[in-house]
Amino acid sequence: LWLAKHFPCNSVVGGNFEEVCPEKVIRFKPPLYKQRYEFVRDLVDRHEPKKIADLGCGDTKLLKLLKIYPCIQLLVGVDINEEKLHSNGHHLSPYLGEFVKPRDLDLTIILYHGSVVERDSRLLGFDLITCIELIEHLDSDDLARFPEVVFGYLSPAMVVISTPNSEFNPLFPTVALRDADHKFEWSRMEFQTWASQVAKCYNYCVEFTGVGTPPAGAEHVGYCTQIGVFTKIGGKAAGSCVSEDHDQHVYKAVYMTSYPSLQQEKVLKFVLVGELLIQVEHLRLRHHRMLRERKRESDPKPRDTDFSLGPDLLLGAVFTEAEKARIENSPEPFCEGDKFCVPLQRLLAYPKLHRLRVDEERMRALIADSVCLSSDSSAVMVDLYNSLDYWPEDS
Amino acid sequence: MSGRARTRARGMLRGSRALEVRGSPGYLAATSVDLGNSEVSLSSRTDSVWQPSDEHDAASGDGEHTLMERRVRIRQDLMDLGICTRERLAHVKDCKTGSSGLPVKLVTNLFSLDLPQDWQLYQYHVVYSPDLPSKRLRTALLYGHSELSDRTKAFDGAILFLSQKLDQKVTELTSETQRGETVRMTVTLTNKLVSSSPVCIQFFNIIFKKILKKLSMYQIGRNFYKPSEPVEIPQYKLSVWPGFAVSVSHFESKLLFGADVSYKVLRNETVLEFMTDLCVRTDTSCFPQTCETQLVGLIVLTRYNNKTYRIDDIDWSVKPTHTFQKRDGSEITYTDYYKQQYDITLSDLNQPVLVSLLKRKRNASMEPQAVHLIPELCFLTGLTSQATSDFHLMKAVAEETRLSPLGRQQRLARLADDIQRNQVARFELETWGLHFGSQMSLTGRVVPSEKLIMQDHICQPASAADWSKDIRACKVLSSQSLTTWLILCSSRAENRIEGFLSCLRRVGSTMGFNVGYPKIIKVQENPASFLRAIQQHVDPDVQLVMCILPSNQKNYYDSIKKYLNLDCPVPSQCVLTRTLNKQGMMMSVATKIAMQMTCKLGGELWTVEIPLKSLMVVGISICKDALSKDTLVVGFVASVNPRITRWFSRCILQRTTAEVADCLKVFLTGALNKWYKLNHDLPARIIVYRDGVGDGQLKAVVDYEVPQLLSSVAESSSDSSSCRLSVVVVRKRCTPRFFVETSKTVQNPPLGTVVDSEATRPAWYDFYLISQTTSQGTVSPTYYNVIYDDNVLKPDHMQRLTFKLCHLYYNWQGLISIPAPCQYAHKLTFLVAQSIHKEPSLELANHLFYL
Repeated sequence: LWLAKHFPCNSVVGGNFEEVCPEKVIRFKPPLYKQRYEFVRDLVDRHEPKKIADLGCGDTKLLKLLKIYPCIQLLVGVDINEEKLHSNGHHLSPYLGEFVKPRDLDLTIILYHGSVVERDSRLLGFDLITCIELIEHLDSDDLARFPEVVFGYLSPAMVVISTPNSEFNPLFPTVALRDADHKFEWSRMEFQTWASQVAKCYNYCVEFTGVGTPPAGAEHVGYCTQIGVFTKIGGKAAGSCVSEDHDQHVYKAVYMTSYPSLQQEKVLKFVLVGELLIQVEHLRLRHHRMLRERKRESDPKPRDTDFSLGPDLLLGAVFTEAEKARIENSPEPFCEGDKFCVPLQRLLAYPKLHRLRVDEERMRALIADSVCLSSDSSAVMVDLYNSLDYWPEDS
Repeated sequence: MSGRARTRARGMLRGSRALEVRGSPGYLAATSVDLGNSEVSLSSRTDSVWQPSDEHDAASGDGEHTLMERRVRIRQDLMDLGICTRERLAHVKDCKTGSSGLPVKLVTNLFSLDLPQDWQLYQYHVVYSPDLPSKRLRTALLYGHSELSDRTKAFDGAILFLSQKLDQKVTELTSETQRGETVRMTVTLTNKLVSSSPVCIQFFNIIFKKILKKLSMYQIGRNFYKPSEPVEIPQYKLSVWPGFAVSVSHFESKLLFGADVSYKVLRNETVLEFMTDLCVRTDTSCFPQTCETQLVGLIVLTRYNNKTYRIDDIDWSVKPTHTFQKRDGSEITYTDYYKQQYDITLSDLNQPVLVSLLKRKRNASMEPQAVHLIPELCFLTGLTSQATSDFHLMKAVAEETRLSPLGRQQRLARLADDIQRNQVARFELETWGLHFGSQMSLTGRVVPSEKLIMQDHICQPASAADWSKDIRACKVLSSQSLTTWLILCSSRAENRIEGFLSCLRRVGSTMGFNVGYPKIIKVQENPASFLRAIQQHVDPDVQLVMCILPSNQKNYYDSIKKYLNLDCPVPSQCVLTRTLNKQGMMMSVATKIAMQMTCKLGGELWTVEIPLKSLMVVGISICKDALSKDTLVVGFVASVNPRITRWFSRCILQRTTAEVADCLKVFLTGALNKWYKLNHDLPARIIVYRDGVGDGQLKAVVDYEVPQLLSSVAESSSDSSSCRLSVVVVRKRCTPRFFVETSKTVQNPPLGTVVDSEATRPAWYDFYLISQTTSQGTVSPTYYNVIYDDNVLKPDHMQRLTFKLCHLYYNWQGLISIPAPCQYAHKLTFLVAQSIHKEPSLELANHLFYL
């Protein structure tokens, strides 16, 4: 539905349009609101910002989409509807799976209750600030203050502003504002004039684009949603220049959550020990298999069991040439009596452990109280056979 | 059959038994979870995507509750509360509490939830004209109306709950959509609910669900867990998440919030990693099959949302590079989908997909929808059956999860504190007029301990938990001499036999159990050789066969038990070689084995004083067959002498959809005939203890099982003698826990503690009894609900009799947590369900052959 909005205020009545005039409805595929989010995700993909704030975050849908990006470390949402922030906050908490396979970098998500035309120093120094379908909800006073706060004070490296394009409206059956709370809807000219002025005033350059392609024959009206992407000239610099005593905390933090990540020692240890034990177990089983195959070869009795796996069933990640070389250049696992040992260096060569960027010394310290090490502490040592070993043909 | 067709076939089969999927073994708490029911509550999702979406559960609260159905569906266990059995029992109508025993002050895990006296919840039905399909729009229009804007409300799109009544029974509201269209909303009062009504109880449960989520807990199944405070067990690649099972319920006179500590076991590996290792372990030929046996039925957690899925199948023909159809009709590969949707890159493009069938909540008759899951993105929860049978692993898990009464009490206090301190939680409660009160204390009673009656000695055990030392020198009540018997063993175990035998004969003679010298047969170490030797050497004179098994692999035990219970009914005793190797334990091992053998030959070990002179007690237990999940195993064990030392045991397999026994009339009539034969009269009283009644099944037991028993009693009775029947439902799982608070610490209550007030239910004749001990953890009470009672025993007597019966289980020299007949029936059904899968030979019915 074209009116599913990013900033639904108290009169969320967009969805019923179909009943009014079913035969003339313009449908976007994917829905327009999704296209707007997709646009932001694309930007995030390309620029890998660390700190993002979404002004007028509403039901936090966009934040929820953004939290999956590994580059983001601080994600902030601001809205004037506190109730909405309260009821949607917990949707932003980490997924259960993120406690099992945590992120690489820390991520904090904070929701603030407040107005986008008030200054709060906690929003200084951001890489990207998004204002999706926001400005048309501002009355003229607020709209006048808006550039000064967002561009002048917060001064992020990049700002994205989207707003309805009124030239598109005649294509809709009823000509009116798209939402009862909209204070205005601008033509392309109006938006671009305003945006260019703002950009010039605060030393940004701006590019115009949009989402929601008009139907064939009506190309002249332009995108349904017009978007301005503002980039600060000279890159990210300001923001940090505000000293501590200028701290202005006018927003009220409504919700905050921190994600488990490999930057936290406890989490790193958990992941390291976990991946290590999985790798050791895998190597131990392969060793078993090798022993059995050797035994079978020396066993003259013909067996019909086939150990070579068909290509269909070959599971597990495939190593790249570089990974292979790294593994082959590291010391091999060995047996000592009924113990199976895997050198730490070998373990660190496997991609899943390698990517943790831990050196041997650190690794030793982290795993010391969780696994058994060989006498010279250079290898992890486990029983060659354990109680869970079960080979089908044993029975 | 293709993978998909097979899944569909399975799906249909499972779909018809919507409530039968039991929780995986990963639930370690006493309150285990029925995953089949996990999302019952009031939520209903209408997901129509092929891929699991990252939408949170609808009930996760956007200020509204999802009671999508026009009629509120009531949770199974709340339905049971509506079965008012007490009102039919005249003798306990006014008072169901006993008075004997020493009073003891107990702290519970229940907290009072206070409501204003005249509190009511108003349920309305809202109709829109014109009808609007979007729930969001419906909600926005309704909430935006001035009539409702300031009220405390919950709305699911059709049903509206208000804490304050509207002026009119029917209220017409109009709102205008932004397009200028007028929508009429008719709000009609359909129900005024008092706080004890099931709908209200369910409503309160949803409020607490919301609150716990605000406290950073995650719902898995029915319980709530804190993954941010994990306990790691690295050597087994396990994490354990602490949490709570919580429920709001109406107890005797009050609304109470109950919480019990629960743990969730997580495996720190993905399904793909699990499969890869399994692949190295197994032959190609049987890898897919082994994979399926190990994985199907397990619950997985996906990485990109908070949902859990049950693995119903593995589709080996689908790879991540294949495409599927999205909701909007477009085709996309799995790899692209996960990259686009969640920024996840799949590392293994050769993995198959897991298939999970989503039950249609709104329409159970519809075919369940299959969802494809990528093994690399799924984490295993719970433990495989193989892992649960690993003693060391289970020990490691138990060490991390076992809580002393003090530890448990501290956790509870912290939860209560969190709820009371959290602003959002407090606001949520207050807005509905609820007040989270204090932890409830009550007074229980400790019934007197029991004396054991042996052949020529009456002994008062030092502790009822374990009287093995007290009766070591005593003779058992009666025993058969064992003269003709066989021992089968492998050559490896041979050197142990002599020592063991001499021990066995020595303890036997102290017990008064004569053990003759057996014929010893050496066999090779494989199940077939054992079976062959048995077939060769067992003749009608053989009294008992003992097998010394080299390992506890199931096929040894199963093949032996099958043959000796079905084809050639002879009592059998299996012993592991390992057991005989235990140095310094030989005497106690031999004593235990001697006692089991005595029972299997029809002997009697001990009894307690039973004041009722002509009483038959019966235990009924039900479980599912391990091989075919739609087969029920019903076990029935009845005492056949006044001393309650001899038993008549029957077991039947029944194909059915409901967990209700069909054959009780035949069983009871058989037991009464047996009694008559031995005692030349009928028992004056029969008390049946029924175990294994699941949530929502109480009505079936009352309406269907009790009449079967009554009809048997009526047919067997003559004019001169008739017997009276009582039926008691036994539950090992119940919300309440009880502690004794001393000046220094918190302890388990003493054995024999009875609670029959406050934590009980007004509509039932019920009580809790603690007849279980534990050295380290917290005991759980057993819950008894007398649903039928012609015997008109005083509550005191019913409680004490139940306690006495917990002393009579011959496989354990101490008290057990449920009455002995129930435990016997349980043991019998377990043997049949796990090993023999057929009704055991009737010739064995008079012996405790299954111990």
